[in-house]
Amino acid sequence: MPEKTIVLNHDIQADRRKAASDMRESLAKQGTFVINLVSSPGSGKTSLLEATCQHWGNRWKVGVLVGDLATDRDAKRLEPFVPVRQLTTGGACHLELTLVQRGLSELPSQRYDFLFIENVGNLVCPASHDLAEHLRVVLLSTTEGDDKPGKYPKMFRTSDLMVISKCDLLPYVPFSIQSVTDDARLIRADLDVLTVCSIRGEGIAAWCQYLEDRRQTMVAASVLL
Amino acid sequence: MHEQSLVKSLLRQVDEVLIENRGSWASSVEVEIGPLSGVEADLVRSAFEQLSAGTRCSNATLLIQLSLLVVRCRDCLSESRLAGFVFRCHHCGSGNVQVISGDALRLLSVTMDSPVEIEHA
Repeated sequence: MPEKTIVLNHDIQADRRKAASDMRESLAKQGTFVINLVSSPGSGKTSLLEATCQHWGNRWKVGVLVGDLATDRDAKRLEPFVPVRQLTTGGACHLELTLVQRGLSELPSQRYDFLFIENVGNLVCPASHDLAEHLRVVLLSTTEGDDKPGKYPKMFRTSDLMVISKCDLLPYVPFSIQSVTDDARLIRADLDVLTVCSIRGEGIAAWCQYLEDRRQTMVAASVLL
Repeated sequence: MHEQSLVKSLLRQVDEVLIENRGSWASSVEVEIGPLSGVEADLVRSAFEQLSAGTRCSNATLLIQLSLLVVRCRDCLSESRLAGFVFRCHHCGSGNVQVISGDALRLLSVTMDSPVEIEHA
């Protein structure tokens, strides 16, 4: 049987990338700034969101989607502050765009100033999934060790901001903010870095200001589109 | 997990190529995997073996080309091939570089049967 070869050379995920980019654009036009919060389990994503919501109060309209393999424990913690929808992945180690779309459609409103997506705790797979976010934030707690950026290069390459959490524990753990910053910036030279202690509130005002500035930049740019 | 869903889309895309080109089965499927694609070649291979059963790719050989990570410097515009994950321009040392290759899983080619077309009078 004769054979023929069809040469294609196309990105297998081209459709997914396009869907994420279209959604990002349409959310930007309505002023919704989407933040994809990624980290290992237990580095304080939910605590940071609690502190953020408390700091802002009613200043901004905030919605949260939280991903976990099981339980709605994180959603329960955030419910007193903001509309929240738990996305239970049933075993999957990351969130995908379709889950985010469904979660957003189930929130009481579709228009927010800030939409936080708290990803499943994992420094590997979430790096490969564009959730239509405008900002990817990787949270790294001082107890995890300052050697993580080089070990998980894709996560730090694809993040825009690294937030170092649990800074109150710095006196007790071998963690250098300088060396973790240097390590991360070998992977992404323009990575922004902030430090916080969510339970004491340190650094929360600067983090909230950072988000407000980034949202303002997005709004200004989408007006020009 | 991730490899499985990517291989499912790969098989769907190969199927579309077969239909478009009037092939009935694929004999080989060639893909490129970059070091920053987030997928592992061995896991792609085993997912392909498992998921292609019963499809038009069931007898197809999966050819995997491992690509290099290539960046373009936004400052001096030259290209550098990176051996590891230190994102620096090899020419001017700038970190202001853009990944131009090595961050994707690409379908390079599909080889299929090519039935002799019978012309009707």
